[in-house]
Amino acid sequence: MIRVRQLSKQYTVHEKEPGLRGSLKALFRRRRTVKQALRSVDLDVAEGEIVGLVGPNGAGKTTLVKVLAGIVHPSAGEARVLGAVPWERSNEFRRQIALIMGQKAQLWWDLPAGDGFLLLREIYGIERGRHARNLGELCEMLGVKAELKVPVRRLSLGERMKMELIAALLHEPRVVFLDEPTIGLDLTAQRAIRDFLLAYRERHRPAMLLTSHYMEDIERLCERIVILREGERIYDGSLREVVRRYAPHRVLTAHLAPDAGGAPDAAGLAAGGRVLESTAALLRLSVPRDRVATTAAEVLRRWPVRDLSIDEEDVGTIIERIFRARGEEAP
Amino acid sequence: MRYLRLYACFLRFSFSRALEFRLDFWFRVGMDTLWYAAHLAFFTLLHEHTDLLGGWTVDQTRIFAAALFVSDAINMTVFSNNLWWFPIFVNRGDLDYYLVRPVSPLFFLSLRDFAANSFVNLLLALGILGWALARYPGPIGPGALGVFLLLLGLGAFLQYALHFLCLIPVFWMHQGRGLMEVSWSAQRLASQPDGIYRGWARRVLTSLLPYALIVSFPVRALFAADLGPLLAHSLLVCLGAFALLVAAWRRGLKAYSSASS
Repeated sequence: MIRVRQLSKQYTVHEKEPGLRGSLKALFRRRRTVKQALRSVDLDVAEGEIVGLVGPNGAGKTTLVKVLAGIVHPSAGEARVLGAVPWERSNEFRRQIALIMGQKAQLWWDLPAGDGFLLLREIYGIERGRHARNLGELCEMLGVKAELKVPVRRLSLGERMKMELIAALLHEPRVVFLDEPTIGLDLTAQRAIRDFLLAYRERHRPAMLLTSHYMEDIERLCERIVILREGERIYDGSLREVVRRYAPHRVLTAHLAPDAGGAPDAAGLAAGGRVLESTAALLRLSVPRDRVATTAAEVLRRWPVRDLSIDEEDVGTIIERIFRARGEEAP
Repeated sequence: MRYLRLYACFLRFSFSRALEFRLDFWFRVGMDTLWYAAHLAFFTLLHEHTDLLGGWTVDQTRIFAAALFVSDAINMTVFSNNLWWFPIFVNRGDLDYYLVRPVSPLFFLSLRDFAANSFVNLLLALGILGWALARYPGPIGPGALGVFLLLLGLGAFLQYALHFLCLIPVFWMHQGRGLMEVSWSAQRLASQPDGIYRGWARRVLTSLLPYALIVSFPVRALFAADLGPLLAHSLLVCLGAFALLVAAWRRGLKAYSSASS
C-alpha cells in the first residue's frame, strides 16, 4: 500500500547570529545551510499494518509523513501510496487517505463537530446512508455520541481528539497517517485512543503510519517500527527484535521477605550485569540474558523471596540508547 | 455541482457561526455604514469644486462610489476573510489539511469562510447602488446595465485574484504582513475613477496592474457607446490573472515546507 524508495528531502534554512547585531547583518547577508530532513529512505507498508516511526525531534518522521500524504514535495526519490504519486495530489488518492495531526485541528472551532462531519460528507462525496453508518460506528467506538452537538471549542482535549479521529476516518481511508495522535492527552484519553486505533485496525484493516514521542503508543500499537536518525532509516523491523538485539540485559526484581536481614550483598551475583537497587525489601539486578535463569535460582537460594519478576528493559530506554549511538556505526 | 453543494455548506456554516457573535455582527454593519457615508460625502465635496472628475459628472461619480461599495462588499463577504488567513496558514503549516482533501485547495481556501456579518453590508451597498442609478438623469439601457453587472462581477473576481497573487510569495518569504499591506495599498488604486489617470499610469492600471478594471470599467459600461472593447478587455485580463494565479499557486505549493511538529 505504501512503497518508498530512496526518498530524500532537503530544506534550505537561514542562519542568523543571535541579538540585534545578528539581525542587522542578516538583513544584508544571510548564511544559508541545507538541512537534510530525509536521506534515501526506503519503506514498505502493507494493508492492516501499523508501522511506528520512531526518532528524536528533527529525525524526519513528520517530514516523511507529510511527503507521503502529498503535502510536501521531496527533493529526490520515489514514493507510491495506493499506486499514486502522493505529491501529484490526485483526488482519487486524497479520497483514500487520512491525516491526523495531534497538534493541529481540522474541525471548525466555533461549530459543533456534527456540522463539521456534514461538511466532510460533501467533501468526500460520501453517500448519506454510508455516512450515517460510519458516524454511528465511530461515535459508538469512541463514546462521544452525546458531544456531537457541542461546539468544538467547548470540548475537552481528549474529546476533541476523538472528534478529529472521526473526522479523519469517516470516509473509510485505506491509508492513515497519524502524527502524534495522543500528544498532550491525559493517560486515560491516551489509552482510549490506542484501544480505538487497535479496534479500528481490526475492523477495517487500513495501513497506518504512526509517529509518536510516547513509547507506550509505539509499544501498544506497532508490531513493526522504523527508527529514523537525522533523516536516515537506521532500523526497520519488529519491535521485539529491537528489544532482543539492543537490550542484552533483562531486569530481575526480587521483593524480599522481612526476615531477609538487611540489604543483600549481591555484587557477585550480577556477573556481566550490575546491581540497580539493593535495600532490605528489594533487590533489582540488570542481568545478561543468558544468565537470567541461573541468577534467579541463586537469588531464590540465598534470600527469602516473596515475589520475583523478570522484565525487559523499558523500550524507550533501549531506543534512546540507539539514538545516542550517534556517529557510531548504524545498527 | 459538487462544488456548488460544497459552497452551500460553507454558506450554512458561516451564517450559523456569524450569528453566534451578535455584537461583532452589528459592529461591522455600523463600521461599513460609516465608511459608505464618508466616501459619498468625499466625492460630493470634490464636486463642489469641479463639475467633472476624471470626465464624470456628480451623478456618474455617485454611481462609481456606489459600485465601489458593492465591489468592496462582495470582496469583504466572499473572499477577504479567507485571504486574510492564507499567509497565517502557510506559516503555521495549517495548509496541510487543505492539501489532503479531495477538493481544489484553491477553491477551499478562497471560499470556505463566507463573512456572513458583511452580507448585510452587501445588501446595503446594493441599495445605495440602486438609489444612485435611479437618480441618474440620463437613460441607462438594460443591455448596458447587464454588462455593468457582469463587469462588476468580473471586477470582484479580478480584485480577489490580484490580492491572492500578492500573497503567494509567502511560500518563500514566510512573512505575510508586508505582502498584505502591499496588496491593500495597491487596491486603493481602484477606489478613484480611472479617468483621473493619464498616459503611462493609465496604461499600467488597465494592463499590468489592472486595478482600473475593478470598478471604473464596469461604470464606464453604463455610459459607453460601444460595450464590446470593455467586455473583451475585462474578460481577457481576468482570464490572464486567473491563469497567472494558478501557475503561481502551483509553484508555491512546490516550495511549501509546512511547519515542524
